[in-house]
Formats: sequence, structure tokens, C-alpha cells
Amino acid sequence: MTIYTRGGYALPGSSLAFKTGSWRVQKPRHVHGAAPCHAVCPAGEDAQAWLARVDEGDVQNAWRTLVQANPLPAITGRVCPHPCESACNRGEMDAPVAIHAVERYLGDEAIRHAWDFGVPTPKADAPRVAVVGAGPAGLAAAYHLLKLGLRPTLFDKNPSAGGTCLTAIPSYRLPREVLGAEVEHLLSLPIDYRPRTILGRDVSIEELRADFAATILAPGQQQPRPWSVDGVTPKDLHQGLDLLESWNSLQTAPAPFSAAVVGAGNTAIDVARVLKRAGVTEVHVISHKAKPGPGVPEDDVMPALAREIAEALEEGIHIHEHRGVRRLILRGERVVGVEMVHMKKLRRANGRLSRVAFDGTETVLHCDQVIPAVGQVLDTRGFESLLDAHGWFDLDDVMRVAGQRDVFVAGDAGGNAGTVTAAVGQGRVTAGAVAQLVRGHEPTIEAPRLAVPFSALNVHYHESAPRAEERVLPVAERGESNEVDLGLDRLDVEAEARRCLSCGNCMACDNCWTLCPDSAVLKTREIASDGSHYVFDYDYCKGCGLCAAECPCGYIEMIEDL
Amino acid sequence: MSTETHVDIEQLRRRQPRFQGLESGHRACLGCGEALAARLVLESAGPNVMIANATGCLEVFSTAWPESAWRVPWVHSLFENAAAVAAGMEAALKHQGQSAKVLAFAGDGGTFDIGFQAVSGMLERGHNVLFVCFDNEAYMNTGIQRSGSTPHAAVTTTSPAGRERMGKRHLKKDIVSIIAAHHVPYAATATVAYPSDLRKKVRRAIDVDGPSFLHVHSPCPLGWGHDSEKSIAVSRLAVETGLFPIIELERGELTGAMPIRHPKPVTEYLKLQNRFRHLFADDPRAREELEHLQALADYNIEVYGLLGDGPDPLDTSGIDKVYRGGAKWA
Repeated sequence: MTIYTRGGYALPGSSLAFKTGSWRVQKPRHVHGAAPCHAVCPAGEDAQAWLARVDEGDVQNAWRTLVQANPLPAITGRVCPHPCESACNRGEMDAPVAIHAVERYLGDEAIRHAWDFGVPTPKADAPRVAVVGAGPAGLAAAYHLLKLGLRPTLFDKNPSAGGTCLTAIPSYRLPREVLGAEVEHLLSLPIDYRPRTILGRDVSIEELRADFAATILAPGQQQPRPWSVDGVTPKDLHQGLDLLESWNSLQTAPAPFSAAVVGAGNTAIDVARVLKRAGVTEVHVISHKAKPGPGVPEDDVMPALAREIAEALEEGIHIHEHRGVRRLILRGERVVGVEMVHMKKLRRANGRLSRVAFDGTETVLHCDQVIPAVGQVLDTRGFESLLDAHGWFDLDDVMRVAGQRDVFVAGDAGGNAGTVTAAVGQGRVTAGAVAQLVRGHEPTIEAPRLAVPFSALNVHYHESAPRAEERVLPVAERGESNEVDLGLDRLDVEAEARRCLSCGNCMACDNCWTLCPDSAVLKTREIASDGSHYVFDYDYCKGCGLCAAECPCGYIEMIEDL
Repeated sequence: MSTETHVDIEQLRRRQPRFQGLESGHRACLGCGEALAARLVLESAGPNVMIANATGCLEVFSTAWPESAWRVPWVHSLFENAAAVAAGMEAALKHQGQSAKVLAFAGDGGTFDIGFQAVSGMLERGHNVLFVCFDNEAYMNTGIQRSGSTPHAAVTTTSPAGRERMGKRHLKKDIVSIIAAHHVPYAATATVAYPSDLRKKVRRAIDVDGPSFLHVHSPCPLGWGHDSEKSIAVSRLAVETGLFPIIELERGELTGAMPIRHPKPVTEYLKLQNRFRHLFADDPRAREELEHLQALADYNIEVYGLLGDGPDPLDTSGIDKVYRGGAKWA
């Protein structure tokens, strides 16, 4: 027998006979907008969705939601510059949600409990796809191919997977246990993994194209960009990238009394901090951009992560901002100093930004070694046949090599990734394009979604709450390789998830249901078919718009209904 | 995303997890604060109640012949006698040994002006009745005439702004103090912008054995001249500016006040409403009236101690914090 709520039944003569919905000129409808964190995430993660699962108390489900896009959260939670937090609408209210710390927590929990990815084993006759390079892009591509029912084969030249994460990111930022465990967790999936296989030596691109339905190239950028000052390079030049690689694999680095690192990116800061750990007394960073700080324009800030810069300064590293190297001061072929000059990026008459050095501002910095960290380039060996005249891949919208049907490029090799997270995202995009291709469709990419702006939210229903700050290891305890950022604990992670404003998605707060003067919003026991927890009864909705105005999430919009 | 649903709406309506005392299909205007307030009052008053309703919008829009939107016994007699009718119902129920609580519903006209002596008598005789005043600050049903509740400087059809006057000349009657002077066990103010506070007060008033009084600020989009989706925002601002203090009085003594975490200037409240539009003209009288209204708000903040001391979880910013899953309204 159906049990009705008391008073919830209609008697003859009830006003329910009068359908006030006929008065309406506009009607509410649910619209799942993209949260800004989701819209800007280079890996395509929907942080709002997994923060909601954390808020519900289901951490495992949160991780499962997260890995729908990014299978490497323990890594990206540590090394990503988190554009999600810069975009977070909560920043307009008090401070952004600490999304990266929650992501890291979920990744660590998944490793600790060996949670199942829930990816089905592909059919034995599923098309095979080759992925070259087991860095973040290649790993993500292999994972997403698997999720899409294809059989990936993953080649890497090194004995262990990880790519740039392994060679270029120091362990105080990304502990090797975490990196190893997360990669191993991923490779426990049915991925045909072939380490120590070098393209051009052990296997050729032509063989791959003959044996596989499609190929995704993700070799990264492993060559340091050539560097000289007016054609002069010191004899004992160490490239920043090589220095990091030898430190990361052998724990050795040159240890002069003083060193100057040239560059402004994460590699430069990493090199500086590694040198400090290796025992160099005076470490200088020469940056043509400014340290982050209030009032510094966005395009003038050093590209390195702000918190890495702050930690480097804590460790006693000197950063010379707005400086360039004009001349190397050599005694014989050895460096004894550099001549620095004030420098700034200015917009020239042709409208382009270019670096300008100001005469009369030269200073001399005494140092025993100069280490360039000015970027990386592609190691072209093995796929020369696919490059354009400039030695780059010419890629179309779906990251396919122009003029080729079945060769795609993901990650740094494509030239516009630059972060681990972007590499992961390109791995996902290329895997999706390959899946479309092998199923006989022309590959397309999903159109980018517009983010829900802060103005669409009703923040009267949120109290300001302080952001949980990660604990940072004191300088004295950092040692050679101890992890510096210590993450958040479970309670803080839950508090952060509660701070999420749920932009563009229903949080089942009951506001619309409670505040409708016409009782035209009905609550459902299960999730309604459109994804919310409420149903509009258009028989009685007069279209006043109160539900849309008072929805804290911007999940309801009013549309014309004449 | 499609808004098509596969839910049987008629069945769903019958199984809503709350008591629905005022059903859909009533003829209130879009965004009516009074309809929302009445619905919220009945939701927490529960089904075991009977209502005596004064003449006014609420009576008219809920009972267009031959239909009724009420799910509880409901009677309407005249404009001036809701409290007297409720008193009689209460006495009769007592005689019959029935337990239903009697509610009297009236607008500001039926409370402040026309029904005033009946209210006073009911309170004085100590009837076990909850009298709810849905205050929309004018005679809206008959076409927006000023009442004793219309705030100072507001425009109505009988208090126009022009060469002689800047809207209503007189002040809003301080009805809660008058009620409190009857030494009733419980009197409180509430608004539709803070439904959890409103419902808590209804439950508290229902539990009182004796006369209780609830004064509910109920925005009227038509009469106040604001957009229908702004009803709650307007009511929230009335509280946040200090113009409508949220207080509780027991036996005439102040026993509770909702603190204002971040007091807002009265202009934020006024500028949303056309009835105050003339105050934003370039006119020294308008500037004086704006200052006057700000002074009235400051006076309320001072007398009722609305600034509180430090953030309070039940203040204007904390009380309607939303939670995933809706625990707020539980």
C-alpha cells in the first residue's frame, strides 16, 4: 500500500485543479555547467565532481571519479601548478579550495589501498595501439586506450617508466616511492609494457605503423636547449637537465663554492635547490622575469611554481630578477663570473614582446659555475621522417601529425604541453582520437566548456572558511631528498571538500525545494533523470525565478517559455 | 541537458517528505513572499492545526471559489476578526477536548490596523492561539494602499511621492513592542529569507500553551516594485541592514536576536524596490530621507544589540549555510 505524506493528497475542490503553469513566460531548467576548475584543468579533471564525492565521505569513489581523466593523481597533486586553484570561484570569496592537496591525498590513498581502476580487460581481438614513451603522456594514453577497449603496447627507452617525472623532477618534490608506486599501480593494468626499447634502434616507426592500428608518440623533450653567450660556452658546462638527471639517478652533482643558474622555470629552480642540497654554498638564479608577488603582472612572473620559488628563497637561494647574462667572464676556459644586465620584456613597435637589455646597468656576479636551464628540445632520433622543415611535429586539432592518418603526438614532444598535467591531458585526448579512428570515425575533440562565473553563484549560503594550509618541512630538516610539502590529513581534506562551492552542479541543498512559493519544485528520493535531486512541476511553476536566484551553485537557469 | 524526466510527478507530489499545508494552484503573484511564508509556517506547524484567516491577499489567492489550496481546516470570516474567530475556535476545541492548535493568519492590515483590537483582546484573554502576521507593508489586495505597517518614506497609491511628500510621512508601527506589552509568553519576528529560523520559531510558538505571535516579513514583488526572483534577496537585505530586526521576546523581555555579521547600508535594500525609487533622485529631501532610514536601521541595531560579539553560527551569514544533501532544512 502506498503511504502518502499527511496532507499530501488532493481532495475534490483542491486548487491543484488550477494549473498556474499557464501564467508562465519563463521557466527554470537544470543546467550542469562546467566548474572553473574543470574548465581550466589541462588533464580534463572535473575537480568539482570528485570533491563532491569526498564531501559525501566516499574517498574511494572520489578517486574513481578523478581517474576517469587522470590516472596519476599522486604525481600531479605534487607537481602540477594547479591552474584549477587560480580559477577557483572560492578565491573571490576567501581563498581557493586546496584542490591539489586533495588530489594528492586521493592518489596516495589509492596507492596505499591498491584500489582497482575498474578498467575492463580488453577483448583479445581488440585493435592494438602503440604508445612510444612511458612518461606522463604515454602512461595516460595507454590507460585511456585501455579504458576505451583497445589494447595498448607501451615502449620506453629507459629501464623504468616515468619519463620526465623520473629524470627531471627532484625527489624532494616527488618522492621516488610515490612515483614508483603510482606508475607500478597503473602498469598493473593489462598494458603490454616494453622497457629498454628504443625507437630507431630496436623498433622502427614503419614497423609500428605496420603492426598497430595507430601510434601515439610521447617521447617528451629530453635534449637541453643549446646555450651559449655570443657563441661562448665554458669548457666545464653542465646543462641543468643533465645535472638533474644525474642527481635523480646517482645522487651526484658538481659542488663548486658558488653557482649561477640561468633560467626562470621549474627546471631552473629545481637545479638551484639540488645544488644547494649537493653542498653548493652560494646558489644564484638569474631570471629575466620577476618573482611572484602582489602587483606583479601575470606575464612578468617567473613560470616556476610560486611555492617552489618561496621554498627556494627559504633555503637561501638568491634570485636575481629582471636580469640577463650579457657576457661570461672567463679565466682560460673556466668561468669566474658572469656579467649581468638589467632586462625586461617590453612590447615593441611591432606589438610583440621582446627582451630589452638596458645599457649602463651591468653588474658582475662572481661564481664558479654557470648552469643553463633554459628549456628543452625534442630528441628527434627515430622519427625524423615525421618532422617538418623546422624539426618539429606539425600537428592538427586532434594532435595528429599533419598528412598522416594514424600517428598522433602527446606531451612535451608536441611542443605545447609544458606540464605533467598537460601531458596527461594530451594522452587522454590522443587516446580518444585513436579510438574514434579505429572505429572508423574522423577524430574530433570535445568543444571546450565555458566555466560557471562567480556571478552565477549565490554565495549568501556559504560561510567564509579558512583554507587548510599544507605543512611544509622546516629548512633544517629538508636534507638531500626529504619531501618538502607534507600534504593534508583526512580531516583537512574533508574540510576542503566542504569548502567547494559546487559551481554548476547540484549539491542537493534543498534551497529550490524549500523556497518555491508555489511548491512547484519536488524532491526525488533517487536522483532525477537530469542529474539533480529535484523535479520542476511545470503544471504549477509560474516562472518567478526564485529557485534560480537562490540556487547556491548556479545550477538553475531561466529560459524563455512563451 | 534535457529537462525531460521519467518521474511520475503526480505520485511524487504525494510523497514529498514534508507536510504540504498550502498546495500548488493558488493564485498568488510570481515570487509572492506571503505564499512562501504561509507554506513554511504550515510545514513546521504540521497537519494538526486549524486556521482562522483574515481578509487579505492570503485569503483571496488561496481560495478562489470553488477551490481551496489549504490542506487543513480553514475559515475566513471578516477583515477585522481573525483573532476573535480564532479565540472562539480555541474555546470550542477546548470544550470538545480536542488538541488541534489554532492559528490566526492575517496580513499587516488585519493586524496593525483593522484587526488590531481583536488581536489585543485575544492576547489579553490568554487564548492558546498562534497569531501569524504576514507583513507585506501595505494593503496589497486592494491595490497598494498605505497601512500602519508601511515603512517611512515608502510610496503607496495613498502615500505618493511628489512636491508635498517623499512617500509615507509617518513611521512604521512598532507592532512587536505593542504585542510584547501584553506580556505574552512568546512573540518573535522572522522572514522568508531565513526559513530555518522561521520554522524553528513556529515550532517554539506551537509549543507555547497560551497566546503567541509571529511577525513575518513577506516581500511583495508587485507592491514593492522589485523583480519576482528578488523576493528573498530583498528580505535578506531587510535583515542585514537592520531595518527588520529578527528578535524573540518572552513575557515582554528580549530573549534572542539574530546578529548581523556584516551590516549593509540601507541603500542596498532600498535601491532594489521601486517604492523607494524617489529617494535616489537628486533632491535634498531625498537625501534627508535616506539618512532618516539609515538612522532608523542604526537605532534598531543599537536597541536590539544586533552587532553581536564576533561571528556567530546563527547570525545572518551563518544560519542558512547550505550543506550537500540539504541537512540545513532538516
